[in-house]
Amino acid sequence: MEYHNVLTTCPYCGTGCALHLQVLDHQLVGVLPAKNHPISQGGLCIKGWNAHAFVNHKDRLQTPLVRKGGKLVTATWDEALALIAEKLSALKAESGPDSIGVFASAKCTNEENYLIQKFARAVIGTNNVDHCARL
Amino acid sequence: MTNSIPEFETDSNCFLIIGSNTSEGHPLIATRVLRAKQRGAKVIVLDPRKNQIGHWADVFYTFRPGSDVALFNGLLNIIITEGLADQAFIAERTENFEEMKALVAEFPAERVADLTGVPVEGLYTVARLYATQKPAAILYAMGITQHTTGVDNVKSVANLAMLTGNLGIPGGGVNPLRGQNNVQGSCDMGGLPNVFPGYQPVTNPETIAKFSKAWSSSLPTPNSPLSNKIGLTVTEMISAAGEGKIRALYVMAENPMLSEADINHTRHCLEKTEFLIVQDIFLTETAQLAHVVLPGASFAEKDGTFTNSDRRVQRVRRAVRPVGDSWPDWEIICHLAGKMGAGGFDFVSPQAVMAEVAQLTPSYGGITYERLEELGGLQWPCPTTEHPGTPYLHKNRFSRGLGHFFAVPFKEPAELPDQDYPFTLTTGRIMFHYHTGTMTRRSKKLDSEARQAYLELHPDDAQKIGLNGSRRVRVSSRRGQIELNVRVTERIKPGVVFIPFHFAEAAANVLTNLAIDPIAKIPEFKVCAVRVEALSGTEHRGGTDHRSGESERRTRRDE
Amino acid sequence: MSERLTALRETIRQILPQVDGVIGLKTGPAGIVAPYLFKPGHPEMLDSLALWPKEPVPDTLKIIQKAYPNARLAIVCRGCEERGVVEMFKHAQVSLENLTLIGLQCVQEEALFCRCAKPYTVHARVTVGSPIAGVPDPLTEAFAAKSQAEKLAFWKEQFQHCIKCYGCRNICPQCFCNVCALEDEKWVETGRLPLPNPSLYHIIRAMHMTAKCVACRECEETCPAGIPLAIHFRLVARDVKEMFHYETGAVIEQKPPQLLTLEEGDYERSGLP
Ligand code: SF4
Ligand code: SF4
Ligand code: SF4
Repeated sequence: MEYHNVLTTCPYCGTGCALHLQVLDHQLVGVLPAKNHPISQGGLCIKGWNAHAFVNHKDRLQTPLVRKGGKLVTATWDEALALIAEKLSALKAESGPDSIGVFASAKCTNEENYLIQKFARAVIGTNNVDHCARL
Repeated sequence: MTNSIPEFETDSNCFLIIGSNTSEGHPLIATRVLRAKQRGAKVIVLDPRKNQIGHWADVFYTFRPGSDVALFNGLLNIIITEGLADQAFIAERTENFEEMKALVAEFPAERVADLTGVPVEGLYTVARLYATQKPAAILYAMGITQHTTGVDNVKSVANLAMLTGNLGIPGGGVNPLRGQNNVQGSCDMGGLPNVFPGYQPVTNPETIAKFSKAWSSSLPTPNSPLSNKIGLTVTEMISAAGEGKIRALYVMAENPMLSEADINHTRHCLEKTEFLIVQDIFLTETAQLAHVVLPGASFAEKDGTFTNSDRRVQRVRRAVRPVGDSWPDWEIICHLAGKMGAGGFDFVSPQAVMAEVAQLTPSYGGITYERLEELGGLQWPCPTTEHPGTPYLHKNRFSRGLGHFFAVPFKEPAELPDQDYPFTLTTGRIMFHYHTGTMTRRSKKLDSEARQAYLELHPDDAQKIGLNGSRRVRVSSRRGQIELNVRVTERIKPGVVFIPFHFAEAAANVLTNLAIDPIAKIPEFKVCAVRVEALSGTEHRGGTDHRSGESERRTRRDE
Repeated sequence: MSERLTALRETIRQILPQVDGVIGLKTGPAGIVAPYLFKPGHPEMLDSLALWPKEPVPDTLKIIQKAYPNARLAIVCRGCEERGVVEMFKHAQVSLENLTLIGLQCVQEEALFCRCAKPYTVHARVTVGSPIAGVPDPLTEAFAAKSQAEKLAFWKEQFQHCIKCYGCRNICPQCFCNVCALEDEKWVETGRLPLPNPSLYHIIRAMHMTAKCVACRECEETCPAGIPLAIHFRLVARDVKEMFHYETGAVIEQKPPQLLTLEEGDYERSGLP
């Protein structure tokens, strides 16, 4: 029997409201707003109040998928990452780093965006990195 | 944003809100503006649709989509001719005033009224209120930027703020409201083709040297320098993939199949991509086309930080373990880099990544997880660990020195209504959904609020197209067509129609125009020409079947 | 404030070994407070015990009891929260068995913030702090003094600011229906903002709070639009007291007037699920 609240930031719009994820025995059971937060001041919009709702949706991707015979089939991480590493290295060798493009993401964290552009620039060697800031 | 969200409530005496449906796009910023109004601040809203803030604003006008520059030039001209400009600010902090002044003189109120549809007295009211109620904040969103003249629009906004001395003061400023939780952070972290983290240009040799050194263990050989060639944008990469110039795309948590303009073109290009990697939490429309799909973790399952619209870096905290065998995205990238033989990706936690970010990004220099734990959020620029963060920018000087006035000539949107396509389509968000709907349409409460796309149509136009009580329409543009429900409403300007873009089954972006701003490369989502035809039949109800997998319990917080 | 905190910490420390957990408030990152379940093995967690701002803890109790119906629990509750637990008990949402109420008496400044008529507990046998008298609610009184037309105009103006976040309902410990009328298209148009008929949402909620609202004011605090919602719930409560002699949370044995008790027998379920 364990119950606690985890303070985090709303995953939806750019307002930056804070919310608590209510956790009971390692399961999300709801959202509570955060009083005294400088942006959200104890309130949330309907999206923030439902921010936990999609997390355990049955459609969540649970394993890597690799296309075989035209179909996406379950694969191990090792298999999927090895395939990507091999393919990207080959394409880079054949057509140069600028034949590869990378999309960063406005939904991912700063750390992840930092890493993916570092990956594009240092490991691949291209500045073809962008995200849908404009969309 | 140059300024801070809390300042709206405490400092601003006037708001000019343009191209932002704030109540639905940024609800808790709208309610902040409301508090300010309740203490006496004036609220001006200009938008092609009468949205919720339009209802309670002090001044509201609709205007013709795409006529923004004309509107701003008109306001600038009135402020100058009425002697309401901030002479001291102009003299001390700006340059090129005369050139701008000469150009806006060509925009007398009568001409602007013709171009924009805002009546002459309305233009005067807006200009006088904004110029006299200081500090005044301008708030805008994609309604300003998603145009072929997006950059011109933004320059115009800056002109207006500088002319009235509304920059560098609390409660004033130019405040683009960022649409997505971490769009600000993604830009800050160098998720852009022309800059490293902290907007350090890839074309600057010193920057290249700095990052080449810092990242040397990740490079193929320790001495190979980083590329100084500006890369391609999302839109360009997709087209290049279609032409075979880009052979592999690695897409992290983006869904261009719904978010890009002209989706049919996007589909064609992505289908032709030789090797498409998509990393996401759901099998999105884009992931369905991938060769390899990598399952990422959701915000509730990982640690990290997001940076909101007012440059506030805040923590994201892991509450539960990732579902199935999904991994936090940062771990995926690190593993992949390792697989490719690169060093410099052996981070043990996002906290360790942030330490490297702080080292290489001056504006994030003072941001550490310890400080975030103690202080909550820190607004960049925050150069050192003693720095308290920066609530508003440009206090005594602009980053470039003097603020530059631009003389911005007026250009019409790339596609105007004509005989074949007589309506102007504008797209946007609604309260209940977010972006491509991947998450919100799988949230039971949000899905049950709004399950269907719809078209907003003015009653006069409904009559014109002979809607005759039918509830379905076909909307077509030069690029494609969709069928959807119709809502007849006076909130929209006659001649203009609106479709929210969240819905894959009737994707507004099948219709939108891929014409892009020459500098920002942003597509013109907010204006294109369409035809609307009435279909016989009743409204479609219910959502799409694949969306309804959430647990059936309907207690309020359990889902 | 800090004396009360020390006293409360001591009280919980003593109770902890006798129960499976104590529901209270804990200070988290950046000083932001949230409900927490203190556990017997971890008295050190009490270092971050918090008093204020208050949180809807009766709901926390419900969440935990639902998963652990037999757990021995204690809950730190203020006057309004105690009333909340009592009313939820009457509606079979929580159990009073195996439950220790730790009454936390509010201080003047807290009572003024909440405009609270009863800032004290009446049932808890363990209490911390000394009870103070209620304070008036100037907002509600000012509203009650308005003419009918002014009242209408007041709500019309207020309700048009509603952003339909459902926060007032979500946070209310007394809003626990499985099927909510506010989500029913027959009553409130879905998917529209501004609400085409904003008053409807609020009138329905006010009606549904009849003899249920415990005046905790959580709804008002969470409302992003700053609508002074407690006004109408408090006035409804006033009517209920007058007409039905019923006050929420006051007498555990008194049945709420709107509750119908069925006699033993065979019944067929119909209508709503
Ligand atoms: S709660 Fe609503 S307003 Fe706040 S960040 Fe989330 S989506 Fe934006
Ligand atoms: S004050 Fe509001 S939240 Fe509290 S019980 Fe009454 S209606 Fe519910
Ligand atoms: S909390 Fe306020 S804004 Fe939200 S639904 Fe209730 S009244 Fe409306």
